[in-house]
Amino acid sequence: MSTISATPLPQTLTPEQAREMAQNQIKKHVVAVVLLHWFNAFVWLLELTTGAALIVSPSLRFMPSWYLIMMEQLFGSRANLLRFHIAVGLVWILVCLIYVTFGWRHFLHAEVLAKEVALDRDDFEWLKMRSLALLKKSAVPLPPQGAYNAGQKLYALMVYTCLPVIMVSGSIMSFHLFGTVAVQWAIVIHFLLVGTVVSGLMVHVYMGAVFPEERPAFYSMITGMVNELYAYRHHLKWWAEIKRQQQQWEESLKLETASPDAIGPASDGKPAPGVGSTSAYQACTADANEV
Amino acid sequence: MPRYAMMIDMERCVACQACTVACKSEWAVPLGGARTRVRPAGTVGDYPNFSSVAYVSQCNHCDRPSCIPACPTGATYQDSTGTVRVHRDLCIGCGSCLAACPYDARYIDATIGKVDKCDFCSDRAAKGLQPACVLTCPTKAKTFGDLEDSSGPLFKTVYYGGAKRVQSSDVEIGPNVYYQAGNAHFEMAAAAFAPHPPRTITANRVWGAVAQKLVFVAIGATFLGQAVAFFRQLAAGEHQFEE
Repeated sequence: MSTISATPLPQTLTPEQAREMAQNQIKKHVVAVVLLHWFNAFVWLLELTTGAALIVSPSLRFMPSWYLIMMEQLFGSRANLLRFHIAVGLVWILVCLIYVTFGWRHFLHAEVLAKEVALDRDDFEWLKMRSLALLKKSAVPLPPQGAYNAGQKLYALMVYTCLPVIMVSGSIMSFHLFGTVAVQWAIVIHFLLVGTVVSGLMVHVYMGAVFPEERPAFYSMITGMVNELYAYRHHLKWWAEIKRQQQQWEESLKLETASPDAIGPASDGKPAPGVGSTSAYQACTADANEV
Repeated sequence: MPRYAMMIDMERCVACQACTVACKSEWAVPLGGARTRVRPAGTVGDYPNFSSVAYVSQCNHCDRPSCIPACPTGATYQDSTGTVRVHRDLCIGCGSCLAACPYDARYIDATIGKVDKCDFCSDRAAKGLQPACVLTCPTKAKTFGDLEDSSGPLFKTVYYGGAKRVQSSDVEIGPNVYYQAGNAHFEMAAAAFAPHPPRTITANRVWGAVAQKLVFVAIGATFLGQAVAFFRQLAAGEHQFEE
């Protein structure tokens, strides 16, 4: 991966190559991640709408009284609203724990986190150039990115830091743990960290659902797949890694087909970027994404 | 609607704590907590002509309670009889109201981690019964009644003289537990158990002054940035060959 960042960014594709790559789908997300993502989105929608109606102290509340009354009536009483908020939160904690337990080796071990969450030199450069580009002060091409770009990594870091604390502080309030002082500060921390995540969440939703350049990323959260051209343009290091794995896989195929009992002709020569047997390629990328 | 209040005759009270015990037994108040208790304040007069002064402390069900705005979840509320009550399902046990109460009338029930206090025996009053402490008092020092009832036991004393409220120049929130006593008795008790100004806990001050401002500035700034980006995107329009 790091060797790729040293090489200059290839800028030119022939129209044929681009067309072929646009047709070619690469697996970006496994089903577990897609499901967890939309479960999370649903939970946040419920928890934010109910949680905002639970802060009713006249000096601390921020929602208008009609909203507080509406939510109370919708759930029958404020006590029910609180019960619902806690119940959804507990289910959320449970599902996240299951994800962490079963996904530990696949999604959350150090090697994957180092690649998908930790920021490298390219990422810092990307942040700098992207900010300048936003301010229309730079037209320099952005440094190559891995499976997630630096902005996505920053958001992931923030979320990974905040979520456990939100879960713990919510539990402290729900079950009145560790005495009054703990509960007092749990409220403040819960509010502060949820607010922090929400401000990031707004950017996340905007970039995913509204921003035109990232539209394939939005659809990838439904189908699990992105087209190769998008991967090449936005996540070059990840694309190169996939290509390397594809190559390896094809080398191993060649060895197999060289044996006498193999059926079919052996493929020779490396395929050009984006050109290759689609089914073989997809099998390969599916393997690659299970890390 | 009734407006419930309590009258306590300090000179009849013999500080026997029967009310404390009756209340604990009626509401299963755990060890370490009390909805009401009798607190000795000292003595008045010189031997052999002296008497002890006892202050019966309980929730005052104030006209303008300082505990209600302090409660973040709205668990503390004032019902239609003017009684200040705690909704147990909503209380999260943060103790904001404990600091806000100038009379220290509240405690944390350690067995459930929630706040509890005197509610004028609301469940009994709804059935037409007197509060447990009033019924049990051997010297009949406590009287419970309705301030709206002009023929009731409290009306004349409260509105036409004789009833005193424990207040100070800092704390005038209209307590509805009235005391009947000679000046010497009352002033000794009122000085010993003077209400302290309502306190806001540090966490809530940080929440209001720092956390809320940070969150709203962050969310507001993000929103503005996105609004600009969105209108730029609208102005640019969509193209067939974006990639």
